[in-house]
Amino acid sequence: MTPTPATAAAAFALVVLGVVALFLLLGTYNAIVALRNRIAKAWANIDVALRQRHDELPNLVEAVRDLMAFERDVLLEVTRARAAYSANDPVPAMAATSDVTSQAVRHLFAVVERYPELRSAENVATLQAEIARLEDVIADRRELYNDQVFRYNTRIGQVPARLLVPLFGWRPEPFFAATKDERSNPRAELSAD
Amino acid sequence: MDSPSALLPFCLAGIAAGLILLWRGFGGYRNAVTLGDTATSRIDSLAAGEVRISGTIEAGEATLVSPLQSVSCVWYRAKVRSRDHDSTEVFAEERAVGFRVRDADGGRIRVFPDGARIGVSPRFDEGTGLMGDAPVGLNLRTGSAYGPGAGTGDEAIDRETAIAALLTVRAPTAWGPGAGAAGDVPDHGAAAEYEESRLEPGDVVTIVGMALPFGHLPDPFGADRMDRAGDPLAGLDDPMVAAEVADARAAGTLLTPEEAWGNAAIPGFGIGKPVREPELDPDADVPAVAPAEDARDAAARFDIPPDTLVLASVEGSPLLIAEGAPEAAVAREQSRFLVGLLGAMLAVVSGIVAAIILGRTPT
Repeated sequence: MTPTPATAAAAFALVVLGVVALFLLLGTYNAIVALRNRIAKAWANIDVALRQRHDELPNLVEAVRDLMAFERDVLLEVTRARAAYSANDPVPAMAATSDVTSQAVRHLFAVVERYPELRSAENVATLQAEIARLEDVIADRRELYNDQVFRYNTRIGQVPARLLVPLFGWRPEPFFAATKDERSNPRAELSAD
Repeated sequence: MDSPSALLPFCLAGIAAGLILLWRGFGGYRNAVTLGDTATSRIDSLAAGEVRISGTIEAGEATLVSPLQSVSCVWYRAKVRSRDHDSTEVFAEERAVGFRVRDADGGRIRVFPDGARIGVSPRFDEGTGLMGDAPVGLNLRTGSAYGPGAGTGDEAIDRETAIAALLTVRAPTAWGPGAGAAGDVPDHGAAAEYEESRLEPGDVVTIVGMALPFGHLPDPFGADRMDRAGDPLAGLDDPMVAAEVADARAAGTLLTPEEAWGNAAIPGFGIGKPVREPELDPDADVPAVAPAEDARDAAARFDIPPDTLVLASVEGSPLLIAEGAPEAAVAREQSRFLVGLLGAMLAVVSGIVAAIILGRTPT
């Protein structure tokens, strides 16, 4: 049976619309998968920097310990904050721990400034510079991670991805930021002896 | 119009144009998603892997001279089409050289452009006038396609040269071999349409692609340039040239760059600022050896440490380079997608009209 022109036109219109709909569907799905992978990568990059800082802190504490015998509290603050780090913690808890560690490191740096012998010690200066660099890297990567999470959370909340959420069970990801609870009760303080 | 069937060719053209627009729109959607769904990284704290950066282009070791307007740039795509009935493309050329991007925080990264998808609007899009006069702004390249890189001249001289170039009144030029343009261009002697897109030092770009250590690039030299017009260095692949190079190596004359190239191997020698004393004829003018700072800059420009992160296309993940800040680049690609959707509507409407015409045409 030869299709009438009207049938052919209808079929053509349906094919074009179908191609557009299918493209949008596949494009959205692929975009969400890519976004999730970018978040995972951004998180892995933060984790690398956190681990590097975690590994460097004992060296700094060891380097300044003898000359800072009267600043035991400051060293203890850094040690406690470092000990609170756990790679298995949820993201907001890690953010809270990271904040406390950064604060303790800043405090330690400020105290070191009061000791000319420490300031002039080459190994202390090198460790300080490395930890300061890691602090900058953590801050930058935190910003990048949160930006990526923002894009993902926004995308899955908008049409057309919103229509696919029930099918694939996508959920908003947490930001690398301490929640109100974590801020008032960070693990670093809980672990204090 | 004598009969409705006379509209049929227009309907078919509408369907074809609509589908082409739709196809291009899909490309725009893909680019918009890639550009828009990736967060911008600071270059100073970049991690390896897929990244998006945004910043200002800085020239690398060399620049290009665009063929239609003779503008210094790091990438260009130029086309000339004759205005005959089938719009024959009489000239097409695309070239790029490696460049750097500096972000707002001062971080710099080297970009290797080979294999990149570059989305840039034309800077020059003009045609021959009604009287056959060349379009305003046409300034055909008359020399090499390659020019000097950044920091290779006195800034004051560059400024003077730039002012002089701006104030120079040029005779109208016509496209063809006589004009001295690069490329094998047929002398069709007809009116033409000129189109040139460029990326110039100082332009803001957004790039999405893989950041990888320089040492991981399988072919840094090949990745550093893109040439879709005929490779000027393709002679190295020629069997005769290769045989001569092999003979020279066997004879021990190509053991080091110094032995192979002599003074040309000294960084800065070509621009009159050698970083060490060259071996010259006693009667030749000896250029002053560049200060240590210049020598360090030259070494940094030509020698990239293997663990330094660079941006380059890798298999399955080409660099996507778009002009402008990220938001502007995304908006432009989204517009392309919207135009594609309009193209789909055009195709559908044209199909329906064609069906109505065919339905009314007596068999």
